[in-house]
Amino acid sequence: MSGGKFNLSLDGWAVALALLLALLVRLNIVPKIPW
Amino acid sequence: MSTSVAIEPPKSTTLSSRVLSFIPGVTLLAAIGYAGKFIEQSISHYGKSHHLSLPNIEYVLWAILIGLVISNTVRVPELFKAGIATYEFWLKVGIVLLGARFLLGDVIKLGGLSLALVVIELALAIALMTALGRIFKLTPKLTTLLAVGSSICGVSAIIAAKGAIDADDEDSSLAIAAILALGAIAVFTFPFIGHLLGMSNHAYGLWSGLAVDNTAEAVAAGALYSDAAGKIAVLAKTARNAMIGFVVLGYAIYWASKGQAQTVHNKALFLWQKFPKFVLGFLLISLLATLGVFNKEQLGSLGNLSRWAFLLTFAGVGLRTNLREMQKQGLRPFIVGAVGEIVIAAVTLGLVLGADRVFHLS
Repeated sequence: MSGGKFNLSLDGWAVALALLLALLVRLNIVPKIPW
Repeated sequence: MSTSVAIEPPKSTTLSSRVLSFIPGVTLLAAIGYAGKFIEQSISHYGKSHHLSLPNIEYVLWAILIGLVISNTVRVPELFKAGIATYEFWLKVGIVLLGARFLLGDVIKLGGLSLALVVIELALAIALMTALGRIFKLTPKLTTLLAVGSSICGVSAIIAAKGAIDADDEDSSLAIAAILALGAIAVFTFPFIGHLLGMSNHAYGLWSGLAVDNTAEAVAAGALYSDAAGKIAVLAKTARNAMIGFVVLGYAIYWASKGQAQTVHNKALFLWQKFPKFVLGFLLISLLATLGVFNKEQLGSLGNLSRWAFLLTFAGVGLRTNLREMQKQGLRPFIVGAVGEIVIAAVTLGLVLGADRVFHLS
């Protein structure tokens, strides 16, 4: 998953997405996630 | 069985078309994972409403089984393959998010204990696989790959080692096939043994993280036992994964000294390149949670997001396990791997049970 302007490794993309999700949850932008 | 662990999108230049190529496969992963969850809940509801005591078969097992049936009967069309290969990506997203469910103090305490056990497990696994490889007359580099795969973290360690020691494609395919086949067997046998021995969630999770090779299978084996065991399995496996660079560096130096691999000039850079960066993400989220950045409800949401990510992973584990492909692989690497894994599983079980007595893990 690398190439172009977004040259990140698989781990880099995974960490980036996880941190983005954490930020969205922290800012209450996403509602409570059920299971 | 696919031997590919990297996401390999079609050769297009734009990010949007790459993302589009993942959609069919990711949708399939989600559908299978959700079907597993639905079946688990339906059986539970049926049992409750009819006052029946039905066995609780976790969604993890259903997701893996559905994936196995699809990949071994109808065969997965090419259109889905790019998306299915993202299962490892979702695994890493899930692990990083799971960091929110650990206080950093617990990570250091349990991670430290895991690391101490990992060092013993590494030494044992490498020595054992090397001896078995010689006895069964495997090529030295295939033996190295099997030793790396069984001692650290399965497929990604084999891929990392392959480049570092200039191993050929056939050897790495054989090693990956053996490690994946043994991982699939471990997913089904470990929970059974754990229940048989009446292991605590902590002890069992630690054992899965130490003894099951591929990260996805280690997490699945832990989650099949219980949620709590799954969490500990992730932590122990993450500690094991963190050692990848040191072991691969050791082998790279060994093969370079024999003139059969390139010399490693900058060892610190080599270690950084091989270090699994998602471990840092896991520690960062754990640090944020420890500092009180998230409230209780938000921590619950992050934990549930992690479970959704793992749901996609478990579906992928089943989908990429192709029994026909496994049968085509040589028997000797599988026997060497199997004998080694059984001994490693038995010794790590002894270590974990000993640690459980001393440290009262539960």
